[in-house]
Amino acid sequence: MHRCLTLMLAATIAIVAASQAPARASDLRVCADPNYLPFSNRAGQGFENQLAAYVAHALGERLVYYWDDTRGPGGFDEFVQNTLNKKLCDVLIDVPYASDKIAPSSPYYISSYVFVFPKRKHYDIESMDSPDLRNLRIGFEADTPGENGLKMRTLIIHGVPFDSADDDNGSPADMLGAITKGRIDVGVTWEPAVGPFLRSMPQMEVVGVPNSRSQGSPEQYVFPMAMAARLGDTATQRKLSNVIAAHKADLVQILARNGVKLYMPNASAL
Amino acid sequence: MKRWSIVIILAFVALLAGLAGMLKNGNAQARVSLLDMSKDANQWVIPALDYSATRNSSLKEITTDNVKNVSVAWTMSTGATRGHEGQPLVVGDTMYYESAFPNHVFAVNLDDYSTKWEFTPKEDPFAVSVACCDLVNRGVAFGDGKIIVDALDGGIYALDAGSGKVVWHSKNADPEMGQTVTSAPLVVKDKVLVGVSGGEFGVRGYLTAFNLSSGKQVWRAYSEGPDSDVLIGAGFPGPKNAGRSTWRGDQWRVGGGTTWGWYSYDPGLNLIYYGTGNPGTWNPSQRPGDNKWSMTVFARNPDTGQAKWAYQMTPHDSWDFDGVNEMILADLKVNGQQVPALVHFDRNGFAYELDRRNGKLLLAKKFDPSVNWATEINTSTGRPNVVFAKTPREGVNVMGICPAAMGSKDQQPASYDPATGYFIVPTNHNCMDYKAFSVKYKSGFPYVGATVKMYPGPGGNRGAVIAWDPTDGHIAWSDPERFPAWGGVLTTAGGVAFYGTLDGWFKAVDTKTGTQLWKFHTPSGIIANPITYMHNGHQYVAILSGVGGWAAIGLAANLAEPTAGLGAVNAAQDLSRYTQLGGDLLVFSLPQSS
Repeated sequence: MHRCLTLMLAATIAIVAASQAPARASDLRVCADPNYLPFSNRAGQGFENQLAAYVAHALGERLVYYWDDTRGPGGFDEFVQNTLNKKLCDVLIDVPYASDKIAPSSPYYISSYVFVFPKRKHYDIESMDSPDLRNLRIGFEADTPGENGLKMRTLIIHGVPFDSADDDNGSPADMLGAITKGRIDVGVTWEPAVGPFLRSMPQMEVVGVPNSRSQGSPEQYVFPMAMAARLGDTATQRKLSNVIAAHKADLVQILARNGVKLYMPNASAL
Repeated sequence: MKRWSIVIILAFVALLAGLAGMLKNGNAQARVSLLDMSKDANQWVIPALDYSATRNSSLKEITTDNVKNVSVAWTMSTGATRGHEGQPLVVGDTMYYESAFPNHVFAVNLDDYSTKWEFTPKEDPFAVSVACCDLVNRGVAFGDGKIIVDALDGGIYALDAGSGKVVWHSKNADPEMGQTVTSAPLVVKDKVLVGVSGGEFGVRGYLTAFNLSSGKQVWRAYSEGPDSDVLIGAGFPGPKNAGRSTWRGDQWRVGGGTTWGWYSYDPGLNLIYYGTGNPGTWNPSQRPGDNKWSMTVFARNPDTGQAKWAYQMTPHDSWDFDGVNEMILADLKVNGQQVPALVHFDRNGFAYELDRRNGKLLLAKKFDPSVNWATEINTSTGRPNVVFAKTPREGVNVMGICPAAMGSKDQQPASYDPATGYFIVPTNHNCMDYKAFSVKYKSGFPYVGATVKMYPGPGGNRGAVIAWDPTDGHIAWSDPERFPAWGGVLTTAGGVAFYGTLDGWFKAVDTKTGTQLWKFHTPSGIIANPITYMHNGHQYVAILSGVGGWAAIGLAANLAEPTAGLGAVNAAQDLSRYTQLGGDLLVFSLPQSS
């Protein structure tokens, strides 16, 4: 299985290299960021690259990328506007299930925001309400549920912001580096953004952040993730959902190999 | 081979245990139906006292005249510290009750207060992290010599009432799917009805009927999806497959509509009644449509689960007004006409009176005048006349919505007192600002949310206990409470109504006037429901004390200054000025000579 995927991947990269040929009906045209690991890059090293290659293979289609920066001015919405909505490509590989400006497939995995800290610290952290957090310097990604949760509890005074989603030169791994260097005690981030890096950091403890209502407002940290087509492109949307239904186990295996942890693993009923 | 023999031996042992239980409980009890047992005021055999969910006892040793002399008869620690939302049962000379998580169950001998047996289920620890609003429990059920226990992780246990031994074990939820169970089951004939919690996690709600003798699932009725899943068949008065067509795309699969409230039953009509919770995604802008059958009163045949009728109270819920509160069955004169009615005080602030034979809306009126999300319920269409300016929508901070998300009343059950004709209703009185966000994707980081800020409603009190006159739908009296009245109400033939408060007062008031007659300060805040029973010729009133649940969260949140910023006193510390966590059972009576 593993060797098969590797071969496939190699074949795909070859295809990518030759992908400036005119579009064909049998192309799987994926919109992706050329420089945003661990998600995707032009060299095909991200887990979204591997998922795209697998989907193309399963469909018997040729994988063609349309590259654009997801972290430029206007952010992800602008990226969608400039790529998918301009019909320069047709498929997004990894987006939240309930997104409303695109047409999501059925979800194929559920992951979660997590607390990351060195195991040797033995912090007792189970949720945003854990008392240990009150005395720690907490790293968070700007404008994510983690920041909101810290604000609600006035923990933000000990907060250290990271902004890998807005900074072309930043990486979700920056937070992990800050933990290692002791600049922060604990980080709150989206597991798939750091899972691939954590494979080589067995000294780190990773604890899921449970959804909460403890402050009155609903706080969601666990998200079902899907692929997506352009709004209105029901044929592609259905095609993606069908691939997911038929090959979910393999997709999940690709995620697992990349260190992306699943939360609520019985998501099959979704 | 070996495994089979063990199974057979176990089955045999269970059979023997069952027989022994029957013998011990006596032939009389084995033959008397739960329905008949529930008519014996000395006992309390159904969570809500009777199938009609009246919580009205005909006991009258304690009266408006002598209640001032009531004092503590005996107490017991529950060994749990989370929110205690349930009530004990009394069957014969034994009291049975369940604590909050870790769901200790006790059988207590009423003669000497010794513990006959104790049971604590082994639970999936994952359940703790997906329980929405504290690790509450709302009590056990009794039927056919068994005590039925719902555990937080969805485990359903039938225990022999005499020995506490497990007769069968079943499962109604999977915490890894975000599902938990907090409600009290209801035994109807040979079925056990069990609901599910977890609307916060995109759970698709359902109600399940298990066989009382075997624990095998008999039917499961989903709140959304095609009619075949919702158990809607021929003769149903409503649109076909609305559980699917009133959602965008596949959203019904994560449609919410959980069933964590109370269940009632009309043996004459052979119908069970319950309500469903809020629809799945928090942000209403993301799920266009009526989102049926969330926020719905269902009437179902208990034998098959088939829906006889359904009435959706809050189509396309934008406020989080779960429709799960209790359905009280009473034969009433409404607008001058005698009707077999169902009365329901909804989170949304409207009291609904329906003809329980067919779901026809007879009357719907606000039971808190501050309610402003809708002006009225149109009696011919059954739909609310919604005020757009008080409707949460994406990206807009909608201010001053009354009631707040916890509703004008949550699950804390009301009581119907036929002597006065009043429903005595524990209510909340909070308003909120609500800002909903869409699911966003910030290049690698998903985000969704809603920010809710809650504060006391007009007048400054956060709750009240009211008397509701159902004949024309008006408030006969109202006792304001500092905090949301999050405990249930008991009314008695002695003319006394009992209820507990979040700050730990257990109170007795005159059912007719609301005048306070007695109060006692309990170890912790009360979010549970009082019961009453007779033992050795005397009337007792029992209540669980143990604050927690969403109420305590609300309490904490309400006390925090809205501007609480850097270095502000932690909200939880404010709560501790009034009460502490900790579960206790308290039992009261008139002073007894000897």
